[in-house]
Amino acid sequence: MPSASAELQAPVAGPTGSWLSAGRLAHTRDVLRELIARDVKLRYRGSYFGMAWTLLNPIAELAVLLFIFGSVLPLQIPNYASFLFTGLLVYTWFQSSLFFATVAVVNNRDLIRRPMVPLAVLPIVSVASTLLHFLLSLPVLFTLMAFTGVPFTRALLALPALIAVEFVLILGLSYPLAAMHVWFRDTQYFLKVALQLLFFMTPVFYESRTIPEPFRALYRFNPMVGVVDGYRDVIIRGVLPPLQTWLTLLGVSTALLLVGLAAFKRASRHFADEL
Amino acid sequence: MTTAIEVANVSKSFRRHRPDRPMMLQEVLARGFGGFRTTEQFWALRDVSFSVPRGRAVGIIGTNGSGKSTLLRLVGGIGSVDSGTVRVNGRIGALLDLGSGIHPDLTGRENVIVAGVLSGLSRREVMRRFDDIVAFSEIGQFIDNPMRTYSSGMQMRLAFAINVHTDPDVLLIDEVLAVGDAAFQHKCLDRIRQFKANGCSILLVSHGLAVVQQLCDEVLWMHNGQPMAQGQVRDVVKKYQEHVGFNMEIELAPETAQPTMPVVPPPPSSRVAPSSEARASELTILEVVLSDDTGHPVSHVTSGREVQVAIDFETSNVSTTPRFQVTIVRDDGLVCCDFSTDRMAAKSPVSRHGRVVLFIDRLDLNSGHYSLDVVALGAHGVEGRPVGVPLTISGDSVRDAVLAVPHRWDFTS
Repeated sequence: MPSASAELQAPVAGPTGSWLSAGRLAHTRDVLRELIARDVKLRYRGSYFGMAWTLLNPIAELAVLLFIFGSVLPLQIPNYASFLFTGLLVYTWFQSSLFFATVAVVNNRDLIRRPMVPLAVLPIVSVASTLLHFLLSLPVLFTLMAFTGVPFTRALLALPALIAVEFVLILGLSYPLAAMHVWFRDTQYFLKVALQLLFFMTPVFYESRTIPEPFRALYRFNPMVGVVDGYRDVIIRGVLPPLQTWLTLLGVSTALLLVGLAAFKRASRHFADEL
Repeated sequence: MTTAIEVANVSKSFRRHRPDRPMMLQEVLARGFGGFRTTEQFWALRDVSFSVPRGRAVGIIGTNGSGKSTLLRLVGGIGSVDSGTVRVNGRIGALLDLGSGIHPDLTGRENVIVAGVLSGLSRREVMRRFDDIVAFSEIGQFIDNPMRTYSSGMQMRLAFAINVHTDPDVLLIDEVLAVGDAAFQHKCLDRIRQFKANGCSILLVSHGLAVVQQLCDEVLWMHNGQPMAQGQVRDVVKKYQEHVGFNMEIELAPETAQPTMPVVPPPPSSRVAPSSEARASELTILEVVLSDDTGHPVSHVTSGREVQVAIDFETSNVSTTPRFQVTIVRDDGLVCCDFSTDRMAAKSPVSRHGRVVLFIDRLDLNSGHYSLDVVALGAHGVEGRPVGVPLTISGDSVRDAVLAVPHRWDFTS
């Protein structure tokens, strides 16, 4: 068991001084920038379609779901193609970020052995590089909207705020998952099952208000319900999302992030011994 | 602040997986829950304290498994201590796991930038030093090719070049000086000396005693996770060599009467013999003196010159001719030559104290660091403690060959 004094004075790599010193922050920013760039460059390197896979995946899902719920079991939702694509993109970002972030520490064991790398950047790199792919698919969504006659409104200006809140939410979930995966390698398999089920529990291809009243309170425990509804409000319906829901989301996500980051930092001292 | 590194009462244990215990649930179910504890604890470091004053170079030596590398990593902030404290004042530079952060699918240029930032430089600093890094690595025009197309030597050179273009206050080095050919190694050593000259403190782990002797001001000898001695290079290395030699004796004794293994490089096993002398030795080496053709004691000779090895000994059995074996071992463990008294005409000694001299007419070995190891042999194998003498050979050749053969060129067309 680590003694209290060892915890307080655990070896601090790099320049003496706090994590918040200016030089330290600037270096962390450079590390983030280079690792994100590397991640984006490498994700599809060697594949024939390259970055296009970022779009091919949701577009294929869109085609199938559009056929099922547009023609086979019609749901009668207005602007269904854009409605569905919005939900798919938002959920895909959430899902693939969590997949990549969970294995971020384990797959970067060589970086764990570098004294100057702040390990807390690893999950951020996964979430941020997936965010870039999400941002690159937005023009496709806007093209689809233009073709199907969905009006563009001023509510779209709220989009960056929604993205920021979802970012904090994903990151808050990523830290504990990434740390847990170091000790418990089944984490990624549990996560896969959980996210597959959560896909149906999130209003991706249907509307959240069709959930029957007795289940609605329980249903809304899934934070992605509010997130997906919010994106639809600003993109499809042209209205601002309910402020109270989003403030709650922001509060919960921030709390999750702070707790998750603290747990991650505590655990990260043992990463080198476990990997 | 006058200390660069301060390690106080550090202990560190690892959990070692027991091979007979299950790792997966299915194995647990198959065997029943009896053996659920799958690990046992062992101590890699026990109550280690030492410090490195600012601007000094300290070498850590010890056999495999002595805790050297674990200690170095803890100083680098890699891994956690179980108790005790580690304090480092200043920016850390590390020559550990050099290839980390290098990705084979990225080009040399891309890797220099990523790895440079990962080793503690800002992006701007990397850009400013980019040309120096490429020049140092001797990669040249290949810098824009993917790293996977590089030879392993090129990859290591580039990785090394990146890591020595940082401005550390404290430099940690782990066995990485064997990069590339002799010329590149020379360049690396020069670069490290330059760091030291600029006031950088150095902590170095090495099996190559020659490197430690060249670079360090002080040596810490680790054994089984505990410091055995710290102090002047000469004294501590000598103690270590005696200790390692002693272990070798115990391990070799029951075997053949003519061991040809090098004595000074640490044995591959970290098994430690009990420190009791099994029997009194009949034959003891008192001193080994190395001298040049004029009889002057030397530790540094020029390739191709004559060398004399004088061995003073003491024997309790005057009726048998004492037997000796001299081995010259390069600092990477390569046995270059060995000489045995068994091949000379027998001459009985006249007294209990005697001297035997080995004349090597031409020492045609390439420049480098060697150890000259002397072993006394008796009826039961090795007698007494083997003695190792450091030997540096200099010459013009910088290539990585064993021999420097006398030769000439002549165009005859």
